[in-house]
Amino acid sequence: MTEKEFIEKVSKEFNIDENNFSQYSERKLRVVVEEERVVSLLTYLKNIGFSQLSLITAVDWIDDNKFELVYNLTSWTERLTVLVKTYIDREKAEIISIMNIWPAAKYYEWDVNEYFGIKFLGNPQNGQELFLEDWDDIPPMRKDFDPVKYSDKKFPRREYDFKMVNKSEVIE
Amino acid sequence: MKEVTLFHGPNHPGMHGNFSVHLKIDGDMVVEAKPVPGMLHRGFEKLMERRLWMNNIAILLRVCVVEPDINEAVYSMATEMIAGMEVPERAQYIRVMILEMARIAIHLSSLGGIGGPTGLYTAPNWGLTDRDYILDIFEKITGARVYHMYIVPGGVRQDVTSDILKDLEKVLDNLEKRLPEYRELILEHPIIQKRTKGVAPLTREQAMSWGVTGVGLRATGVDYDVRKYDPYLVYDKLDFEIPTADFSDAYNRLWLKYREIEQSIRILRQVIANMPEGPVRVKFPGNALKWRVPKGDAYARIESARGEFGYYVVSDGGTSPYRVHVRGASYPQGLYGVEAGMPGTRLEDVAIWLDTMGVCAPEIDR
Repeated sequence: MTEKEFIEKVSKEFNIDENNFSQYSERKLRVVVEEERVVSLLTYLKNIGFSQLSLITAVDWIDDNKFELVYNLTSWTERLTVLVKTYIDREKAEIISIMNIWPAAKYYEWDVNEYFGIKFLGNPQNGQELFLEDWDDIPPMRKDFDPVKYSDKKFPRREYDFKMVNKSEVIE
Repeated sequence: MKEVTLFHGPNHPGMHGNFSVHLKIDGDMVVEAKPVPGMLHRGFEKLMERRLWMNNIAILLRVCVVEPDINEAVYSMATEMIAGMEVPERAQYIRVMILEMARIAIHLSSLGGIGGPTGLYTAPNWGLTDRDYILDIFEKITGARVYHMYIVPGGVRQDVTSDILKDLEKVLDNLEKRLPEYRELILEHPIIQKRTKGVAPLTREQAMSWGVTGVGLRATGVDYDVRKYDPYLVYDKLDFEIPTADFSDAYNRLWLKYREIEQSIRILRQVIANMPEGPVRVKFPGNALKWRVPKGDAYARIESARGEFGYYVVSDGGTSPYRVHVRGASYPQGLYGVEAGMPGTRLEDVAIWLDTMGVCAPEIDR
């Protein structure tokens, strides 16, 4: 199946506009769907051979007040890679878990939940700690989390008695 | 019988890096296992959002400590995909050379590393000795032994001279002579035979549903390898095989690593023979410190020693990445795999399980 045939097949069978597809490299595609249809699209793709889930991650588009969720699927028989993307509201950051489709998604979703605060409905691990022990601030991968401010609040600042010259100052 | 809770790690001879597994033991049988990552969390993904595209090369190597070169290569590939950059052919050959040398180095240390959990302490000495000859070549090419910072977006930092290629050939000849001895000393050794055969099994269904790639999956008979299925760099021009086995246990996974060293030597010989002349780096349009990558995103992946290793990079057109996500190759088996697959293993085999499945703590924590 060429990339074009795949786009035609999926847009026809799943009723997605062809403009939602784009190609970013050889045999690598992306597709954007609405939040409600992302789980059914993932199920559909798994049924037509996209059996490997490589990652679930999120991007914080704070200016648009949206979270972008990204799923990467691979079909070994077709040798195609698809990035499935969806946008959810930043205030109401919730999406249905895909743990029942890929059991390993439990940890991918837990990871996103801890770093971004996105709630995966159906995943029992929401709100529990995985990587960050005793975390006491907003989820750290959000763009409005400032690591410098957090470190100033958390740890005493050390004083050094020499002046560092910034590299950028030298170049300018 | 009464169950006992035991902590395996964070420090253990069978683990590369700090990674803890909380075990519930009945007799000497694991009935429940819970992975506890986070000991090596250094916040790289957040750090990379604050640093320049080029500055990131210096820190992302630390994402996987034992095999750093895959990080710089895959980050550069993702950045080039977004920026639409063409890498000169000589640079692509040099990248393949670096990646295959790195593969040999890590396979040698994992063939030796099996000595830790099994108690065959000659093996680590042998493995690390031969790995050192590879590191010598790395030092000649890049100036550093472990963290090279050599592959950058647009090519590689420096050209390779023909003297270094001759030296590399000598190292490969020497290694080829040594490999049968490795087989005798490590793979056919009674300790290894007794401790690894049939231990830590992984069925094809398990591997598929967890999402395991790399030797763990290939040992079940599936020949999935990113180098063949989604060829990057110049792997489609090179002739090599993907070794597979019919049953994935600790011994077969080790055996495949041994076979992969042979294939990597084969690839390296072809690279040395066919390396074209030409430039090794694209010239930047301006100051590299003020380099802006156009808006876009890409997922690049690579075959690491433990399986598919990828970077998802997003750019908003600025001087630093908007978001970088590291897809560690040992993510599936290190987290979900431990929880789902470790129960039923005996306590003394837990270290062998973690070692041969290829659980690399730093790339899980990031």
